[in-house]
Amino acid sequence: MDTPAIRTEGLTKRYGDQDALSGLDLEIAEGEVVGYLGPNGAGKTTTIRLLLGLARPTSGRAEIFGLDCQRRTVEAHRRLAYVPGEANLWPSLTGEETLHLLGRVQGRVDTSYRAELIGRFDLDASKKVRAYSKGNRQKVLLIAALMTRPDLLLLDEPTSGLDPLMEQAFRRSVQEARDRGQTVFLSSHILSEVEALCDRVGILREGRLVEMGTLEEMRHLSTVSVEAVFDATPPDLAGVVGVKRAVVDGRHLQLEVQGSIEPLVDALGGTGVRELLSREPSLEELFLAHYGPDGAAPVPAGTSAGDGDRR
Amino acid sequence: MTGVAIEAPPGRLTAAGRHPRAVVAGQVSRRAARSGGLWGLIFGLYIAAQTLAYTSAYKTQAARDELLRAFGTNIGLNALIGPARAINTVAGYASWRLLGILSLLGALWGLLLATRLMRGDEEAGRYELLLAGQTTRRRATGQALAGLGTGLVALFVLTAAGTVLTGQASSVRFSMGQSLYFSVTMVAGAATFLAIGALASQLANTRRRAASMAGVVFGVAYALRMVADSDPGLHWMVWLSPLGWIEESRPLVGPRPMALLPVLVLVILLTALTLHLAGIRDLGSATLAGRDTSDAHLGLLGNPVGLTVRLMRPVALGWLFAIAAFSVLIGSVANSSTRDATGSNAIEQALARLGGHGSLVAAYLGLTFLILALMIALVAAGQITATRTEEAEGRLEVLVVRPLSRTTWFAGRLGLSALLLTIAGALAGIGAWVGAGNQHSGVGFGSLLAAGVNIVPPSLFLLGLGALVIGAWPRRTTTVVYGYLAWSFLIEFIGAVVHANHWLLDTSVFFHMAPAPATSPDWASAALITGLGLAGAVVGGIFLNRRDVLGA
Repeated sequence: MDTPAIRTEGLTKRYGDQDALSGLDLEIAEGEVVGYLGPNGAGKTTTIRLLLGLARPTSGRAEIFGLDCQRRTVEAHRRLAYVPGEANLWPSLTGEETLHLLGRVQGRVDTSYRAELIGRFDLDASKKVRAYSKGNRQKVLLIAALMTRPDLLLLDEPTSGLDPLMEQAFRRSVQEARDRGQTVFLSSHILSEVEALCDRVGILREGRLVEMGTLEEMRHLSTVSVEAVFDATPPDLAGVVGVKRAVVDGRHLQLEVQGSIEPLVDALGGTGVRELLSREPSLEELFLAHYGPDGAAPVPAGTSAGDGDRR
Repeated sequence: MTGVAIEAPPGRLTAAGRHPRAVVAGQVSRRAARSGGLWGLIFGLYIAAQTLAYTSAYKTQAARDELLRAFGTNIGLNALIGPARAINTVAGYASWRLLGILSLLGALWGLLLATRLMRGDEEAGRYELLLAGQTTRRRATGQALAGLGTGLVALFVLTAAGTVLTGQASSVRFSMGQSLYFSVTMVAGAATFLAIGALASQLANTRRRAASMAGVVFGVAYALRMVADSDPGLHWMVWLSPLGWIEESRPLVGPRPMALLPVLVLVILLTALTLHLAGIRDLGSATLAGRDTSDAHLGLLGNPVGLTVRLMRPVALGWLFAIAAFSVLIGSVANSSTRDATGSNAIEQALARLGGHGSLVAAYLGLTFLILALMIALVAAGQITATRTEEAEGRLEVLVVRPLSRTTWFAGRLGLSALLLTIAGALAGIGAWVGAGNQHSGVGFGSLLAAGVNIVPPSLFLLGLGALVIGAWPRRTTTVVYGYLAWSFLIEFIGAVVHANHWLLDTSVFFHMAPAPATSPDWASAALITGLGLAGAVVGGIFLNRRDVLGA
């Protein structure tokens, strides 16, 4: 079996008496694009800092391509590039000087790709860092990471401060990286970005990984929202297998169904149903479902712009 | 009237503080008062310690007259901290020693505080948030100046408390009026350089540049005053320097309050100019703005060591220039400073007591090299804080997430800093030789170069101490390094004249430095403190490697 790009075992980090990350077991194969979600303070940045060896774990271990992140840090870093959410650079250097320096420290650069990225991200590299906006400083770090064509890209909210056009340029660059077989670990708040780019998604809550899988798998485990319009008063369907909630509003019925909707479709036969709409939950709904008041709140019906299909 | 009905009224907005328009003043005041209070406490204790040490060390009038004969003439110390008038009285001694040292320390405190709280906050983007509130650029600057004023008041109150309480002692006896006027003169340097720092914060676009600019003004002011005090023929030059005006205020012995008038006028003018410039520039920019674009200069940017050279170059060259200029100056005034004193047994005895022997010129240079040692130690402290700032502001992270170990980065930075300090020391020796060269001073190139190298080990020790603190206690780096430096300097000056406890004196790194060229350098001691510094750096490096990378 190939060595995984990232592997953690019981990775834990405590600050004082607070668990920033507890018992993280993660395995990401080479070539995968994985999204990493969680609200502020859930442990996303802590995970990435532990993978980079910037922080030391309280217990557990982490490996990058089989290299221990604490003991063989420099070797691990040869194979990766990192983009933090906040770009702290040397104010007196220009963009070009910064890219040159970071390329030299990394030890390898695809110069023609660098030129292409500078054009794609529309960066004026002759400006000094102190004159850049936050978004432009972020572009410098994105280009610096992408231009080295690393085996692994660790991205921690990399598009904060980028405008929608640049967000598109970023997505294109990640897709190129995926096409080349590079592994991407993307921590992000922008759920549409994760939904568009990632093969698998992990969801963190209070330092614990509460969900990890493909979007399809996660949707399968989640509730489906169903809306039906009847000719007359809707029938009582609360007892049908899989139906978790039913709300009647005149001739409208809203249902939440766990698992297969087949029993519901069967039960609807001959009930005078005129219109039926079912929607799979969007990533946003899946995400929010983990962060409701009790940690597993039901998916609110019709709250998302997710694609629906009429049957 | 038509309108949209609001179903549920929003929560009531309540005041979040009594003075929303004075947030900047509050912020700056708190921090300035804390700093001013701390330094006021140090000043107060120093005033008490020095004055009482004098009365206990020189109990009889005969002993005090002897001291006057030794120091009252125009020798090195007078050039360094002002002319010693009537130091056979406790008032004369306190006036000379305390005003001479505390006005300089106050000036340095003022310029560093003003540039940190004004340009430093603006550079870090904190002003932007506050300026989005109920204020304008000019008003916010006015408030920041008021905040600095609060810091000055805190410094004054504790300095005055120290002076008044010391003045109550039966062996001292200063009147309340004398004590208060004396305290005003001791903080006048701080007031002047708070104002100069505030103006530099408008002119320069980074804190570092603003502090360097104000530092150059301080250097020139000090050099002018020193030249004025080294030769009676040049004494008129005292009026060219704000530090000279403070000296001429002569508290306790023949006070001349009018000499403080130019200080007051200067502070008012600088404050007005600061407010004017703040009102006509953009936030984040500076009156003397640098260019926003530049051709790429890639020569040094091939590795982290080259990057460090590139980053430290402006400040390092500034310090090397200042040290070279200062050493040429002390070299060139060495002969005239000691001319009047030649042949006086009393002076030779006093110098011997300080550890000096040999020619008076050599003895004078031995004392003045202490100031050069302090300058080089300030370079070391600056290097350490710059190293920690790279980590605190997140730039170290940008490098060490690449194939570069923290150890390599740290060793590179410390190695370059050590090289800079050694060059500075050698330059000090060469500068003094160049200055003294055409005066037949009798002190040769070899001994002056050795004297220059001799002042390097204390700063290497400080560098090692700082490296240890970066590794073990990173967020306290600046406090520990500058705190220890100030402590060492004060202890050294206490120890120079008064017999103090040996253990106390041992805590000052300067105490372990022989006053070359007055004596030959103590290379064994120098090797020991360098070794301790090296050990500190190694242990600091190990700690740095084993801990989390930490922000500010």
